[in-house]
Order: sequence, then structure tokens, then C-alpha cells
Amino acid sequence: MLYALCFLLFMIGLYCAITKKNMVKIVIGIVVMEYAVNLFLIMLGYRTNGIAPIIGKGDLNPETGQVLSSFINGSVDPLPQALVLTSIVISLGSLALMISLCIRIYGKYKTFDITKIRRLRG
Amino acid sequence: MKGMTVIVKTISSWVKLLIFLFGIYIILFGHLAPGGGFAGGIILASSYVLLMLAYGREFVEDNLPLGLASKLDCVGAFLFALVAILGLAFGGAFFANFLYQKYLPGESLRLISAGTIPLSNIAIGLKVGASLFLIILTLSMCCHYEAGSEEPNDEEE
Repeated sequence: MLYALCFLLFMIGLYCAITKKNMVKIVIGIVVMEYAVNLFLIMLGYRTNGIAPIIGKGDLNPETGQVLSSFINGSVDPLPQALVLTSIVISLGSLALMISLCIRIYGKYKTFDITKIRRLRG
Repeated sequence: MKGMTVIVKTISSWVKLLIFLFGIYIILFGHLAPGGGFAGGIILASSYVLLMLAYGREFVEDNLPLGLASKLDCVGAFLFALVAILGLAFGGAFFANFLYQKYLPGESLRLISAGTIPLSNIAIGLKVGASLFLIILTLSMCCHYEAGSEEPNDEEE
């Protein structure tokens, strides 16, 4: 069910990116698609009633210094979260690139409408 | 064009140091608590963005010039690569945690306990903070010269 909602969010972003004619709205659609994929990856690692995968003082065995098995069995998966953090960084970079392209195109053509950008100008 | 009202200027001049300090805290404690280089770098850059919004772009450019920010960006990238290469040289593998293996056995959950991970966090914090600051500064420059001035358009982020 939740995965279907993720897919629905992705489809909303795709619809926005395909059908809108304003460049800024296309950028927003692409960003919504990225966030849908991030949400999907986060939910893959989720565990019901799980705890955050951060080791504190109480989660270590006092004698050996190893992590308790109850913590390992109770925490959510930290690997998708780390990967999604990397993906957020990449989406930040691509968002900056898209926004700068939009600003340059607006400066050259004085419009955001992609149907009005027809001629190549030197 | 010279920034916002005096209320915004006063409050942001109080808050900017706290935001900067919080970013440094997030970077330094990245191996113990949620956070790390990326989040701390974003917070560092956001303190400068607050100054840019309140005081205008020229004030921020006097405070942290473009050349210095670009150098900090490069220094962050080189530090991160240096930590990786040192792991290859002393620990036997790329990004090997040689400090933890040799000098800090058995220590955990302290500030100086994770070997090379805080060093790479600091490097990433420098890199992300400087480069995000540069991105936002160049975007605002882009808007200004497209609005009608005749500056050269060679800025890249």
C-alpha cells in the first residue's frame, strides 16, 4: 500500500515534468520524482516499531564493548539512509544545475514557456 | 537594494554566530550523533545565506571573497583525498582507518575515538559549505547581471 503511494508520488512528478510548459514547474516535477525515489528507498529499510540506528552509551555491552544484539535486532536498516543521503547530495547538485540553466534561458529569451523558445539565438 | 530593514539586520547579526557554531558542532560530532560533514556544511553555508539575504550580496563578498571560498572548496576536496591516500599508505587499503587500528584501540563513544572519520567529516564540511556558498552566490550574481547590468558572464559553479 505504502509502496503504491510512493509510485503515485513518482507518477505525479512525471506528469508534472511531462505536461507542464513552464520550465520552473518542470524542475519541480523532476525534484518530486527524486523525492519519491528517496522515500521508496527509505521505506525499504524501515522496520515496524524500530529504533533509530544510532549507538549510544546504553547500547554497548559493558564488559566486551560490543553492540548488544537487542539493538541490532531492534534498529532500522542504516544502509538505505546513508545511500539516500548521497542521493540527496546528488539531487542538490543537479537542482543547482537545472536552476542555473533556467536563469540563463530566461535571460536570453525573456520567457519560461518552453513552447515559445523556438529560435536559436547566438 | 542594500539589504532589508534594521530589525532583520539586528536579529541576523545576533543569530549568525550561533548558526555557524551549530554547524561546527554538527561537523565535529558527526561520528557520534546524527549529522556529519554534509549537514554541517549546509548549516555553515546557510549562515552566510542569511547574511546575504539580510545585508545584501556585497557585504558577504567582502566578508568571504570568491577566491577564498574557491580555495576552501579545493582544500576540502584535497583533505578528503589525502585522508583516503593516507589510509592506503599506512593501513593497507583505500580509506582504511589507520588511526583507529593503531593508536586508539578499545576507545568508543568519545570525541577523539573514531580515527580518520572526524578528519574526513571536517574535510567534507569545508567542501560542502564552501561549494554551496559559491553556488548560491553565483546564482544571485547570475540574476543580477541578467537583470540589466553588463558584467562578464564567466561565473561557473
